[in-house]
Amino acid sequence: MYEDKMRFELTVNRRKRVVYVHPSMTLLEVLRDELNLTGTKRGCDDTNCGVCTVLMDGKAVKSCTILIPQAAGHRITTIEGLEGEDGLHPLQQAFIDHFAVQCGYCTPGMILTAKAILDENPNATEDDIREGLHGNLCRCTGYKKIVEAIEAVRDGDYGDYAVDWREV
Amino acid sequence: MRFEKYFQPKSVKECPALLKEYGADAKVLAGGTDLVPRLKNGQLHPVAVIGLMDIPGIDAIDVTDEGLTLGTLANLRKISLDQRLEKDYKVIMEACGHVSSMQVRNIATIGGNACNASPSADAIHGLLLYDAVATIASEDSMREVPLHEFFKGPGKTVLGTGDLLLRFFVPAPKAHTGASYQKYAIRGDSDISIVGAGARLTLDSDGAVAEARISLASVAPTPLRMFEAENMLVGSKLDAEGIEKAAEICSNQVSPITDQRATQEYRIEMVRVWVRHALEQALERAKI
Repeated sequence: MYEDKMRFELTVNRRKRVVYVHPSMTLLEVLRDELNLTGTKRGCDDTNCGVCTVLMDGKAVKSCTILIPQAAGHRITTIEGLEGEDGLHPLQQAFIDHFAVQCGYCTPGMILTAKAILDENPNATEDDIREGLHGNLCRCTGYKKIVEAIEAVRDGDYGDYAVDWREV
Repeated sequence: MRFEKYFQPKSVKECPALLKEYGADAKVLAGGTDLVPRLKNGQLHPVAVIGLMDIPGIDAIDVTDEGLTLGTLANLRKISLDQRLEKDYKVIMEACGHVSSMQVRNIATIGGNACNASPSADAIHGLLLYDAVATIASEDSMREVPLHEFFKGPGKTVLGTGDLLLRFFVPAPKAHTGASYQKYAIRGDSDISIVGAGARLTLDSDGAVAEARISLASVAPTPLRMFEAENMLVGSKLDAEGIEKAAEICSNQVSPITDQRATQEYRIEMVRVWVRHALEQALERAKI
Protein backbone atom coordinates (compact mmCIF):
# COMPACT_ATOMS: atom_id res chain seq x y z
CA MET A 1 0.00 0.00 0.00
CA TYR A 2 2.21 2.76 -1.35
CA GLU A 3 -0.13 5.55 -0.21
CA ASP A 4 0.57 4.68 3.44
CA LYS A 5 4.23 5.37 2.96
CA MET A 6 5.92 8.66 3.68
CA ARG A 7 9.14 10.23 2.47
CA PHE A 8 12.00 10.49 4.94
CA GLU A 9 15.45 11.96 4.41
CA LEU A 10 18.41 11.04 6.55
CA THR A 11 22.17 11.05 6.26
CA VAL A 12 23.65 7.57 6.57
CA ASN A 13 27.42 7.20 6.65
CA ARG A 14 27.88 10.70 5.19
CA ARG A 15 25.48 10.01 2.28
CA LYS A 16 22.08 11.59 2.03
CA ARG A 17 19.46 8.87 1.67
CA VAL A 18 15.77 9.17 0.86
CA VAL A 19 13.41 6.35 1.79
CA TYR A 20 9.70 5.85 1.20
CA VAL A 21 8.44 3.75 4.08
CA HIS A 22 5.60 3.50 6.58
CA PRO A 23 6.32 5.76 9.58
CA SER A 24 5.94 2.79 11.94
CA MET A 25 9.15 1.24 10.61
CA THR A 26 12.13 1.38 12.93
CA LEU A 27 15.50 2.80 12.00
CA LEU A 28 16.89 -0.76 12.25
CA GLU A 29 14.35 -2.05 9.71
CA VAL A 30 15.10 0.81 7.33
CA LEU A 31 18.87 0.30 7.59
CA ARG A 32 18.71 -3.45 7.05
CA ASP A 33 15.72 -3.92 4.75
CA GLU A 34 15.65 -0.69 2.71
CA LEU A 35 19.31 0.32 2.60
CA ASN A 36 20.84 -3.19 2.78
CA LEU A 37 23.17 -2.12 5.59
CA THR A 38 23.08 -5.49 7.33
CA GLY A 39 26.11 -4.79 9.50
CA THR A 40 23.66 -3.46 12.07
CA LYS A 41 22.26 -6.56 13.76
CA ARG A 42 18.84 -7.44 15.10
CA GLY A 43 19.05 -9.20 18.46
CA CYS A 44 16.44 -9.01 21.19
CA ASP A 45 14.57 -6.35 19.15
CA ASP A 46 13.40 -5.00 22.50
CA THR A 47 16.02 -2.37 23.55
CA ASN A 48 17.95 -4.71 25.83
CA CYS A 49 20.89 -6.30 24.04
CA GLY A 50 22.50 -3.40 22.14
CA VAL A 51 23.52 -5.27 18.97
CA CYS A 52 21.48 -2.77 16.93
CA THR A 53 23.46 0.21 18.27
CA VAL A 54 24.22 2.94 15.73
CA LEU A 55 25.30 6.54 16.17
CA MET A 56 22.74 9.31 15.69
CA ASP A 57 24.43 12.72 15.53
CA GLY A 58 27.39 11.01 17.20
CA LYS A 59 25.39 9.61 20.13
CA ALA A 60 24.96 5.85 20.65
CA VAL A 61 21.32 4.79 20.26
CA LYS A 62 19.45 1.51 19.84
CA SER A 63 18.05 1.51 16.33
CA CYS A 64 15.42 -1.17 17.07
CA THR A 65 13.54 1.31 19.25
CA ILE A 66 13.66 4.42 17.08
CA LEU A 67 10.89 5.05 14.59
CA ILE A 68 12.07 6.33 11.25
CA PRO A 69 10.45 9.77 11.75
CA GLN A 70 12.69 10.19 14.81
CA ALA A 71 15.78 9.56 12.71
CA ALA A 72 14.71 11.75 9.79
CA GLY A 73 16.97 14.77 9.34
CA HIS A 74 19.66 13.25 11.53
CA ARG A 75 23.15 11.92 10.84
CA ILE A 76 23.40 8.14 11.24
CA THR A 77 26.65 6.17 11.41
CA THR A 78 26.60 2.39 11.09
CA ILE A 79 29.52 -0.06 11.24
CA GLU A 80 29.80 0.19 7.44
CA GLY A 81 30.60 3.88 7.83
CA LEU A 82 33.67 3.44 10.03
CA GLU A 83 36.12 2.05 7.50
CA GLY A 84 38.00 4.84 5.77
CA GLU A 85 40.05 4.98 2.56
CA ASP A 86 43.11 4.02 4.56
CA GLY A 87 41.54 0.92 6.03
CA LEU A 88 39.77 -0.04 9.18
CA HIS A 89 38.89 2.36 11.98
CA PRO A 90 41.34 1.80 14.88
CA LEU A 91 38.53 0.38 17.03
CA GLN A 92 37.82 -2.22 14.35
CA GLN A 93 41.51 -3.10 14.11
CA ALA A 94 41.89 -3.19 17.89
CA PHE A 95 38.97 -5.61 18.27
CA ILE A 96 40.73 -7.94 15.79
CA ASP A 97 44.19 -7.53 17.36
CA HIS A 98 42.89 -8.12 20.90
CA PHE A 99 40.59 -11.01 19.95
CA ALA A 100 37.62 -9.06 21.29
CA VAL A 101 35.40 -10.96 18.85
CA GLN A 102 34.16 -14.50 19.12
CA CYS A 103 30.86 -15.11 17.31
CA GLY A 104 30.89 -11.47 16.25
CA TYR A 105 27.21 -10.75 16.54
CA CYS A 106 27.58 -8.09 19.23
CA THR A 107 30.68 -6.57 17.62
CA PRO A 108 29.17 -3.85 15.39
CA GLY A 109 27.17 -2.51 18.33
CA MET A 110 30.14 -2.82 20.69
CA ILE A 111 32.42 -0.90 18.33
CA LEU A 112 29.92 1.91 17.76
CA THR A 113 29.26 2.23 21.49
CA ALA A 114 33.03 2.25 22.04
CA LYS A 115 33.36 5.03 19.48
CA ALA A 116 30.68 7.08 21.26
CA ILE A 117 32.51 6.57 24.57
CA LEU A 118 35.90 7.72 23.21
CA ASP A 119 34.43 10.52 21.07
CA GLU A 120 32.78 11.94 24.18
CA ASN A 121 35.82 11.34 26.39
CA PRO A 122 39.12 10.26 24.79
CA ASN A 123 40.50 9.71 28.31
CA ALA A 124 37.69 7.40 29.48
CA THR A 125 38.78 5.21 32.40
CA GLU A 126 38.09 1.48 32.57
CA ASP A 127 35.07 2.31 34.76
CA ASP A 128 33.81 4.85 32.20
CA ILE A 129 34.22 2.26 29.43
CA ARG A 130 32.41 -0.47 31.37
CA GLU A 131 29.61 1.93 32.34
CA GLY A 132 29.32 3.03 28.70
CA LEU A 133 29.10 -0.60 27.53
CA HIS A 134 26.34 -1.34 30.06
CA GLY A 135 23.71 -1.52 27.31
CA ASN A 136 25.66 -3.95 25.08
CA LEU A 137 25.53 -7.66 25.83
CA CYS A 138 28.15 -10.20 24.73
CA ARG A 139 27.38 -13.85 25.43
CA CYS A 140 30.65 -15.36 24.16
CA THR A 141 33.84 -13.74 25.36
CA GLY A 142 32.92 -11.77 28.41
CA TYR A 143 33.93 -8.16 28.36
CA LYS A 144 37.60 -8.21 29.30
CA LYS A 145 39.00 -8.39 25.77
CA ILE A 146 36.52 -5.81 24.57
CA VAL A 147 37.56 -3.37 27.28
CA GLU A 148 41.25 -4.08 26.54
CA ALA A 149 40.74 -3.32 22.85
CA ILE A 150 39.08 0.00 23.65
CA GLU A 151 41.81 0.86 26.16
CA ALA A 152 44.48 0.16 23.54
CA VAL A 153 42.86 2.69 21.22
CA ARG A 154 42.52 5.19 24.08
CA ASP A 155 46.19 4.69 25.00
CA GLY A 156 47.40 5.65 21.54
CA ASP A 157 48.37 2.24 20.14
CA TYR A 158 46.67 3.29 16.89
CA GLY A 159 47.56 7.00 16.88
CA ASP A 160 46.33 9.87 19.00
CA TYR A 161 42.59 9.21 19.24
CA ALA A 162 41.59 12.75 20.20
CA VAL A 163 43.55 14.23 17.28
CA ASP A 164 43.26 11.60 14.56
CA TRP A 165 39.99 9.80 15.14
CA ARG A 166 37.61 11.80 17.28
CA GLU A 167 34.24 12.07 15.50
CA VAL A 168 35.70 10.66 12.27
CA MET B 1 0.94 -2.24 10.62
CA ARG B 2 1.79 -0.89 14.08
CA PHE B 3 -0.41 2.18 13.59
CA GLU B 4 -2.24 3.80 10.71
CA LYS B 5 -1.62 7.50 10.82
CA TYR B 6 1.37 9.57 11.80
CA PHE B 7 1.32 13.26 12.63
CA GLN B 8 4.20 15.59 13.43
CA PRO B 9 2.66 18.90 14.53
CA LYS B 10 4.77 22.06 14.29
CA SER B 11 3.16 23.80 17.27
CA VAL B 12 1.52 23.01 20.61
CA LYS B 13 -1.69 24.55 19.29
CA GLU B 14 -2.23 21.71 16.80
CA CYS B 15 -1.93 18.95 19.42
CA PRO B 16 -5.12 19.11 21.55
CA ALA B 17 -7.41 18.92 18.51
CA LEU B 18 -5.50 15.91 17.15
CA LEU B 19 -5.48 14.23 20.55
CA LYS B 20 -9.20 14.86 20.91
CA GLU B 21 -10.06 13.58 17.45
CA TYR B 22 -8.36 10.23 18.06
CA GLY B 23 -8.98 10.02 21.81
CA ALA B 24 -7.90 6.69 23.24
CA ASP B 25 -6.70 5.69 19.75
CA ALA B 26 -3.91 8.29 19.83
CA LYS B 27 -0.46 7.87 21.32
CA VAL B 28 2.11 10.60 21.78
CA LEU B 29 5.67 9.87 20.67
CA ALA B 30 8.32 11.56 22.82
CA GLY B 31 11.51 9.46 22.92
CA GLY B 32 9.63 6.27 22.19
CA THR B 33 11.72 4.04 24.48
CA ASP B 34 8.55 2.75 26.15
CA LEU B 35 6.12 3.30 23.28
CA VAL B 36 8.05 1.66 20.43
CA PRO B 37 8.62 -1.75 22.09
CA ARG B 38 4.91 -1.86 22.93
CA LEU B 39 3.93 -0.99 19.38
CA LYS B 40 6.20 -3.76 18.14
CA ASN B 41 5.08 -6.48 20.53
CA GLY B 42 1.41 -5.70 19.97
CA GLN B 43 0.62 -4.49 23.49
CA LEU B 44 -0.61 -1.22 22.00
CA HIS B 45 -2.62 -0.73 18.82
CA PRO B 46 -3.14 3.01 18.41
CA VAL B 47 -4.69 4.38 15.22
CA ALA B 48 -2.63 7.56 15.33
CA VAL B 49 0.84 8.39 16.62
CA ILE B 50 1.74 12.02 17.21
CA GLY B 51 5.46 12.90 17.24
CA LEU B 52 6.30 16.04 19.21
CA MET B 53 9.87 16.60 18.00
CA ASP B 54 9.08 19.52 15.65
CA ILE B 55 7.52 21.69 18.36
CA PRO B 56 9.95 24.56 19.05
CA GLY B 57 11.43 24.55 22.56
CA ILE B 58 9.71 21.32 23.61
CA ASP B 59 13.11 19.82 24.60
CA ALA B 60 14.31 22.88 26.56
CA ILE B 61 16.46 22.70 29.69
CA ASP B 62 16.36 26.26 31.08
CA VAL B 63 17.96 27.41 34.32
CA THR B 64 17.08 30.81 35.79
CA ASP B 65 17.23 32.37 39.28
CA GLU B 66 13.59 31.32 39.78
CA GLY B 67 14.12 27.69 38.95
CA LEU B 68 14.56 24.98 36.37
CA THR B 69 12.25 24.38 33.43
CA LEU B 70 12.33 21.06 31.60
CA GLY B 71 10.37 20.74 28.39
CA THR B 72 8.48 17.48 28.02
CA LEU B 73 11.03 16.25 25.46
CA ALA B 74 14.05 17.24 27.57
CA ASN B 75 16.45 14.36 27.07
CA LEU B 76 17.45 12.25 30.07
CA ARG B 77 21.12 12.03 29.16
CA LYS B 78 21.36 15.78 28.50
CA ILE B 79 19.76 16.45 31.88
CA SER B 80 22.12 14.00 33.57
CA LEU B 81 25.21 15.70 32.08
CA ASP B 82 24.15 19.38 32.17
CA GLN B 83 26.72 21.12 34.38
CA ARG B 84 24.38 24.08 34.99
CA LEU B 85 22.32 21.71 37.15
CA GLU B 86 25.26 20.50 39.25
CA LYS B 87 24.96 23.07 42.05
CA ASP B 88 21.22 23.23 42.78
CA TYR B 89 19.64 20.25 41.01
CA LYS B 90 22.16 17.43 41.36
CA VAL B 91 19.54 14.88 42.41
CA ILE B 92 17.57 15.60 39.22
CA MET B 93 20.70 14.85 37.18
CA GLU B 94 21.34 11.67 39.18
CA ALA B 95 17.80 10.32 38.92
CA CYS B 96 17.85 10.86 35.14
CA GLY B 97 21.33 9.31 34.96
CA HIS B 98 20.15 6.06 36.56
CA VAL B 99 17.71 5.18 33.78
CA SER B 100 18.87 2.19 31.75
CA SER B 101 21.88 2.41 29.42
CA MET B 102 23.56 5.35 27.67
CA GLN B 103 21.78 4.41 24.44
CA VAL B 104 18.34 4.60 26.07
CA ARG B 105 19.14 7.80 27.96
CA ASN B 106 20.26 9.38 24.65
CA ILE B 107 16.67 9.03 23.39
CA ALA B 108 14.37 8.87 26.44
CA THR B 109 12.69 12.03 27.73
CA ILE B 110 11.55 13.35 31.10
CA GLY B 111 7.98 13.87 29.87
CA GLY B 112 7.88 10.32 28.54
CA ASN B 113 9.08 8.95 31.88
CA ALA B 114 6.27 10.85 33.62
CA CYS B 115 3.46 10.10 31.15
CA ASN B 116 4.36 6.42 30.96
CA ALA B 117 3.51 6.48 34.69
CA SER B 118 5.41 3.35 35.57
CA PRO B 119 5.53 2.69 39.32
CA SER B 120 9.25 2.04 38.82
CA ALA B 121 10.02 5.28 36.93
CA ASP B 122 13.38 6.59 38.18
CA ALA B 123 13.90 9.86 36.30
CA ILE B 124 10.94 11.70 37.81
CA HIS B 125 12.07 11.28 41.42
CA GLY B 126 14.39 14.30 41.41
CA LEU B 127 11.40 16.34 40.27
CA LEU B 128 9.10 14.82 42.90
CA LEU B 129 11.57 15.70 45.65
CA TYR B 130 11.84 19.29 44.41
CA ASP B 131 8.09 19.97 44.22
CA ALA B 132 7.97 20.15 40.43
CA VAL B 133 4.81 21.45 38.80
CA ALA B 134 3.56 20.08 35.47
CA THR B 135 2.06 22.41 32.88
CA ILE B 136 -0.63 20.72 30.81
CA ALA B 137 -2.09 22.17 27.62
CA SER B 138 -5.62 21.37 26.53
CA GLU B 139 -7.76 22.77 23.71
CA ASP B 140 -8.63 26.12 25.26
CA SER B 141 -6.63 26.36 28.46
CA MET B 142 -3.44 25.59 30.32
CA ARG B 143 -3.34 24.19 33.83
CA GLU B 144 -0.74 23.38 36.41
CA VAL B 145 -0.62 20.20 38.46
CA PRO B 146 1.89 19.39 41.22
CA LEU B 147 3.83 16.32 40.10
CA HIS B 148 2.83 14.32 43.19
CA GLU B 149 -0.81 14.62 42.06
CA PHE B 150 0.03 13.70 38.46
CA PHE B 151 0.11 9.90 38.85
CA LYS B 152 -3.12 7.94 39.22
CA GLY B 153 -2.10 4.30 38.74
CA PRO B 154 0.18 2.09 36.65
CA GLY B 155 0.18 3.80 33.24
CA LYS B 156 -2.46 6.28 34.41
CA THR B 157 -2.07 10.03 34.92
CA VAL B 158 -4.30 13.07 35.33
CA LEU B 159 -4.02 13.67 31.58
CA GLY B 160 -7.45 13.51 29.98
CA THR B 161 -8.46 13.32 26.32
CA GLY B 162 -6.90 16.23 24.47
CA ASP B 163 -4.36 16.99 27.20
CA LEU B 164 -0.66 17.36 26.47
CA LEU B 165 2.08 17.55 29.11
CA LEU B 166 4.16 20.57 28.06
CA ARG B 167 6.82 21.07 30.70
CA PHE B 168 7.90 20.86 34.32
CA PHE B 169 8.92 23.79 36.48
CA VAL B 170 11.09 23.21 39.53
CA PRO B 171 11.40 26.16 41.94
CA ALA B 172 15.01 26.95 42.89
CA PRO B 173 15.89 25.26 46.20
CA LYS B 174 16.61 27.25 49.34
CA ALA B 175 20.05 27.31 50.95
CA HIS B 176 21.10 24.22 52.92
CA THR B 177 19.13 21.84 50.76
CA GLY B 178 20.46 18.36 50.08
CA ALA B 179 18.87 15.48 48.24
CA SER B 180 19.56 11.93 47.15
CA TYR B 181 17.93 9.27 44.98
CA GLN B 182 18.96 5.66 45.53
CA LYS B 183 18.10 3.07 42.92
CA TYR B 184 18.35 -0.48 44.22
CA ALA B 185 18.50 -2.99 41.38
CA ILE B 186 20.40 -6.24 40.91
CA ARG B 187 21.78 -5.62 37.43
CA GLY B 188 22.63 -1.94 37.66
CA ASP B 189 20.86 0.87 35.88
CA SER B 190 19.62 -1.27 32.96
CA ASP B 191 17.54 -3.23 35.44
CA ILE B 192 14.15 -2.14 36.79
CA SER B 193 14.49 -1.07 40.41
CA ILE B 194 13.44 -3.38 43.23
CA VAL B 195 13.07 -0.25 45.31
CA GLY B 196 13.88 3.37 44.53
CA ALA B 197 14.14 5.80 47.44
CA GLY B 198 14.56 9.56 47.32
CA ALA B 199 14.97 12.13 50.05
CA ARG B 200 15.34 15.89 50.19
CA LEU B 201 16.07 17.90 53.32
CA THR B 202 16.17 21.68 53.70
CA LEU B 203 17.72 22.81 56.98
CA ASP B 204 17.11 26.10 58.81
CA SER B 205 19.90 28.27 60.22
CA ASP B 206 20.03 26.16 63.39
CA GLY B 207 20.44 22.96 61.42
CA ALA B 208 16.92 21.70 62.15
CA VAL B 209 14.81 20.26 59.34
CA ALA B 210 12.68 23.01 57.77
CA GLU B 211 11.39 20.92 54.86
CA ALA B 212 11.52 17.21 54.17
CA ARG B 213 10.53 15.15 51.15
CA ILE B 214 10.67 11.38 50.76
CA SER B 215 9.72 9.59 47.56
CA LEU B 216 9.56 5.90 46.68
CA ALA B 217 9.58 3.89 43.45
CA SER B 218 8.45 0.32 42.70
CA VAL B 219 6.54 -0.23 45.96
CA ALA B 220 3.01 0.93 45.07
CA PRO B 221 0.81 1.43 41.98
CA THR B 222 2.29 4.93 41.53
CA PRO B 223 5.45 6.80 42.49
CA LEU B 224 4.89 7.74 46.14
CA ARG B 225 5.45 10.72 48.40
CA MET B 226 5.61 9.73 52.09
CA PHE B 227 3.86 12.65 53.77
CA GLU B 228 3.63 11.21 57.28
CA ALA B 229 7.34 10.48 57.52
CA GLU B 230 8.12 13.90 56.01
CA ASN B 231 5.98 15.70 58.61
CA MET B 232 7.58 13.70 61.39
CA LEU B 233 11.01 14.97 60.38
CA VAL B 234 10.15 18.68 60.23
CA GLY B 235 11.40 20.68 63.21
CA SER B 236 13.85 18.05 64.41
CA LYS B 237 17.63 18.02 64.34
CA LEU B 238 17.98 14.85 62.39
CA ASP B 239 20.01 12.03 63.88
CA ALA B 240 20.33 8.29 63.30
CA GLU B 241 17.30 7.58 65.48
CA GLY B 242 15.08 10.03 63.58
CA ILE B 243 16.24 8.63 60.26
CA GLU B 244 15.45 5.08 61.39
CA LYS B 245 12.02 6.15 62.61
CA ALA B 246 11.18 7.83 59.29
CA ALA B 247 12.37 4.76 57.39
CA GLU B 248 10.20 2.57 59.61
CA ILE B 249 7.10 4.70 58.92
CA CYS B 250 7.76 4.44 55.18
CA SER B 251 8.14 0.67 55.24
CA ASN B 252 4.81 0.38 57.08
CA GLN B 253 2.98 2.40 54.43
CA VAL B 254 3.98 0.79 51.15
CA SER B 255 2.04 -1.80 49.18
CA PRO B 256 4.51 -3.51 46.84
CA ILE B 257 3.81 -6.55 44.70
CA THR B 258 5.75 -9.78 44.42
CA ASP B 259 7.23 -10.26 40.96
CA GLN B 260 10.28 -11.87 39.32
CA ARG B 261 12.57 -9.21 40.76
CA ALA B 262 11.62 -9.44 44.45
CA THR B 263 8.94 -10.51 46.87
CA GLN B 264 6.59 -8.14 48.63
CA GLU B 265 8.19 -8.90 52.01
CA TYR B 266 11.69 -8.23 50.72
CA ARG B 267 10.65 -4.93 49.16
CA ILE B 268 9.08 -3.77 52.43
CA GLU B 269 12.34 -4.55 54.25
CA MET B 270 14.36 -2.81 51.55
CA VAL B 271 12.26 0.35 51.84
CA ARG B 272 13.54 0.73 55.38
CA VAL B 273 17.15 0.24 54.27
CA TRP B 274 17.10 2.52 51.24
CA VAL B 275 15.07 5.34 52.79
CA ARG B 276 17.75 5.37 55.47
CA HIS B 277 20.54 5.59 52.87
CA ALA B 278 18.69 8.35 51.00
CA LEU B 279 18.08 10.41 54.15
CA GLU B 280 21.68 9.98 55.29
CA GLN B 281 23.06 11.24 51.98
CA ALA B 282 20.50 14.06 51.78
CA LEU B 283 21.48 15.22 55.27
CA GLU B 284 25.18 15.09 54.44
CA ARG B 285 24.60 17.17 51.33
CA ALA B 286 22.31 19.66 53.11
CA LYS B 287 25.04 20.45 55.60
CA ILE B 288 27.58 21.52 52.95
